Amino acid sequence: MSVPTRSRGQREDGHPDSRLARRQRRLEELLEAAGVVTGAELDAILDRYLATAKPANGARVVARAWVDEGFRHRLLADGNAAVAELGFSMGGGIQPQLLRVVENTPRLHNVVVCTLCSCYPLALLGPSPSWYRSEAYRSRVVRRPREVLEEFGLHLPGHVEVRVWDASAETRYMVVPRRPAGTEGMAEDALAGLVTRRGLIGTAAV
Amino acid sequence: MTRIHDVGGMEGFGPVDPTEDGRAFHADWEARVFALNTALIRRQAYTLDEFRDAIEHLAPERYLASSYYERWLEALEGLAVKKGLVAPGDLEEEGGDAPGPGPRGSGEGRGR
Amino acid sequence: MKDEGGATGRALEPPRSGPGAEGSPPGERFRPGETVVVKALDPPHHTRAPRYVRGHRGVVVEVHGVHPRPDDVVTGAHPPAMEPVYAVRFSAADLWGEGDHSVTVNLWEAYLEPLPLQGTGP
Repeated sequence: MSVPTRSRGQREDGHPDSRLARRQRRLEELLEAAGVVTGAELDAILDRYLATAKPANGARVVARAWVDEGFRHRLLADGNAAVAELGFSMGGGIQPQLLRVVENTPRLHNVVVCTLCSCYPLALLGPSPSWYRSEAYRSRVVRRPREVLEEFGLHLPGHVEVRVWDASAETRYMVVPRRPAGTEGMAEDALAGLVTRRGLIGTAAV
Repeated sequence: MTRIHDVGGMEGFGPVDPTEDGRAFHADWEARVFALNTALIRRQAYTLDEFRDAIEHLAPERYLASSYYERWLEALEGLAVKKGLVAPGDLEEEGGDAPGPGPRGSGEGRGR
Repeated sequence: MKDEGGATGRALEPPRSGPGAEGSPPGERFRPGETVVVKALDPPHHTRAPRYVRGHRGVVVEVHGVHPRPDDVVTGAHPPAMEPVYAVRFSAADLWGEGDHSVTVNLWEAYLEPLPLQGTGP
């Protein structure tokens, strides 16, 4: 009797993911049995999240700002209202969020972090990359941002001012990168294709 | 009483590994943990601040050794008990077999 | 992190004031441009004043609306204090004695005090 138990233990307990998966399953079962959540509700939350929260949203916003000077001004003045023009919302999450959009210029580079956890505009940038949540990034980008940006392959000349924004739950920051040279004739959709999630966080030029 | 999550300006975590694979979740349980937390906060079972507080109360060695969603799971279990939604004895034992009558796994190999 | 919503959900209440707001609505103790000092806080619970800014001086650059103080939310104060949240900019040189960048942090009003009056000195 102890043999199958042990062999099951060796197979499953040796793998952290299956231990964690069991704990998660148990918690979900208990909460469902208590009438607190339903499996269908969780499915719906995940479906909507994965279908709607993506960096292509932020890229669209940036491309519009590049081609439409009026929109750019509105975006920098009131991010929430401006992204709503494109059908995006910072609501719908668990609490209302202020969207503050900051713009890179030839003399200023912005970079975003959340030192205390991993706050970030999920609706516009999609799920955050692992590095954004890492202690290495959170601890060092406020202290030595130029070094950290070098680790991403982004070299900033000394004359460019670096502004780090330590985000909190109530305010989420997004960066408008500089429009690359030589893109004057490009259509808005093609411009959006140039913008990366790193660019929207400030760890890449675009 | 500053806790381990408050890492801004600390040294020693090494260079940033900028690798990314574009995946939102690396296992199904991570996605379910994410959804559970969203549902519970929407239901006002607890607040986002309470959730953060629960993560921040993990012991430092535990915090640093845990993956991102592992921290979330720990916090969720703790809050579910604290808010009276589940009984502590009903939760899956960390590293053990499913709870129930009879002998449990000894918890050997319980890595942190 | 943890705003777990999609991009197309129904909008919640918008923040009451934004970074573009002119001047200071009543009730805000500090104004953009004002130098403030972060109190030497160290509570045993969740707070939003990171350790690296405590005790340091910074400049208010923006007002980011009025929000419940997280410290009150987690300690069960009913109702939690509703306070202005400021974006406060710190120079790296002030924080760490080196560096040419700045760091801007969102801080609740209760975390801040005015810059003490300077003595006239000799």
